Amino acid sequence: ATLCFQAFLQMCNLPIRVVCRANAEYMSPSGKLPFIHVGNQVVSELGPIVQFVKAKGHSLSDGLDEVQKAEMKAYMELVNNMLLTAELYLQWCDDVTVEEITHPRYGSPYPWPLNRILSYQKQWEVRRKMKAIGWAGKTLEQVLEDVDQCCQALSQRLGTQPYFFNKQPTELDALVFGHLFTILTTQLITDELSEKVKNYSNLTAFCRRIEQQYFEGHDKDSSTSGAARSAKRSLLR
Amino acid sequence: MAAPMELSCWGGDWGLPSLHPESLTVMAYAKFSGAPLAVNTITNFWRAPKGDVPVLVSEDIVISQPAKILNFLRKQKYNADYELSAKQGADTLAYIALLEEKLLPALLHTFWVEAENYCSVTKPWFASRIAFPLSLYLPGKMSREALNRILLTRGGPPLYSLTEVEAQIYRDAKECLNLLSKRLGTSQFFFGHTPTTLDAFVFGFLAPIYKVCFPRVQLQEHLKQLPNLCRFCDNILACYFRLTVSGHSPAGQDTADANLQKLTQLVNKESNLIEKMDDNLRKSPQHPPRKLTTLKLAAGGEGSPLNRLSP
Repeated sequence: ATLCFQAFLQMCNLPIRVVCRANAEYMSPSGKLPFIHVGNQVVSELGPIVQFVKAKGHSLSDGLDEVQKAEMKAYMELVNNMLLTAELYLQWCDDVTVEEITHPRYGSPYPWPLNRILSYQKQWEVRRKMKAIGWAGKTLEQVLEDVDQCCQALSQRLGTQPYFFNKQPTELDALVFGHLFTILTTQLITDELSEKVKNYSNLTAFCRRIEQQYFEGHDKDSSTSGAARSAKRSLLR
Repeated sequence: MAAPMELSCWGGDWGLPSLHPESLTVMAYAKFSGAPLAVNTITNFWRAPKGDVPVLVSEDIVISQPAKILNFLRKQKYNADYELSAKQGADTLAYIALLEEKLLPALLHTFWVEAENYCSVTKPWFASRIAFPLSLYLPGKMSREALNRILLTRGGPPLYSLTEVEAQIYRDAKECLNLLSKRLGTSQFFFGHTPTTLDAFVFGFLAPIYKVCFPRVQLQEHLKQLPNLCRFCDNILACYFRLTVSGHSPAGQDTADANLQKLTQLVNKESNLIEKMDDNLRKSPQHPPRKLTTLKLAAGGEGSPLNRLSP
């Protein structure tokens, strides 16, 4: 999710500095990561950040007409609905992944037994949410099928264009890039999820293009954090 | 061919074939794609196969969620999206996601969480269609599940109180309605002249908001300001469900109100008459032997107010 924001802010040509903190969740006004700290203001989550940036005079979607804006919002909801939920499912509801990867990673800043307690608590929360929206009954295959359907829709919408809405990138491009890049580069037990995305060559080309255009140039300024550099390394591998 | 497919779902009212958005979506899709469905409205909940509604039963196969039911119908060659391009198919998925994320929470709230609506309309309606003793338990359970879903998906910080969550979900729902209206524009359906899956979903979500008469109706009022969406719902009802719009709200509501007024007036007149008769009886003495004098006194009693009136 951090990458969505970095991509968005760089598309707007706004310089940023990425900082990692263990208590970041508590510093954020909404409890969700990431958030930006500008002067006296702290803003979190993609929607409010986009509006904040727009209020300061930078907007990526001004060139769109009303119908296109409606489409953009619809696709952003699709990505949130399908990809984000699938990522959460994989992280917290697939037992193998939970044991081997998620629990250690989530609990790493804390000493025992706090690390186990906090990660179990988070797992319980996520499972409750999955049950409320009806995903608790889904098997891993069904979730992967949903991801495939979502990627197919995104791939068909992108077609052969450089960005989703013609030649200019928008919030949708930033959001899609963030999610797909994370899926492609995060090490999991199996590669099934990233394989689903790799099936669509225009989506992988899209990710590579944005990465080269917005993250390589930023690298040269050497004001980016190690996260982007290591992420870049793993995609080009 | 094979035995016809049977759909079990909640029944309808206020001019709609069903009040339940998901049931309505499936019924609309079946009409659009020409699938022969025998619709059973649930009156005895014990008999519903799994308790998930709507449920499609075809030979031995039982399918329960709208997306799965629609997939099944498509595999049986009842496909309403045949003429759509790949991009339009992708748009369909995106708009359905928009409906589920932005409109559904407010819809659930209007039906199941808003206290006045729930107590005066939703609970009695559903309870009347569920057999006792489930009717005492099931509406409450559905209400709790709706509230749970709203709070878990939209209720995170910084929205700490239910009123803030409510304000946010209604804002999102109104924005979603505006976006749908802009997307529909002046066309009859979302993709040209024939209805598709997206039209079925939009109809399923919008029609209950549009037609059901609730005491608290902020979403309905907002929808009525978007005439192309209202026309969209009315069109589908008139063309595919053969229920005339004129027989029901708002003209229907007006005639009902007028009838109610007339009835009230008649009742008032009757009660006035009865009161008058009571007065007369009280003024006249009650003992039977004095029958003749009673009559005279009654006449006198009647006469005296008149005398009093005249100067």
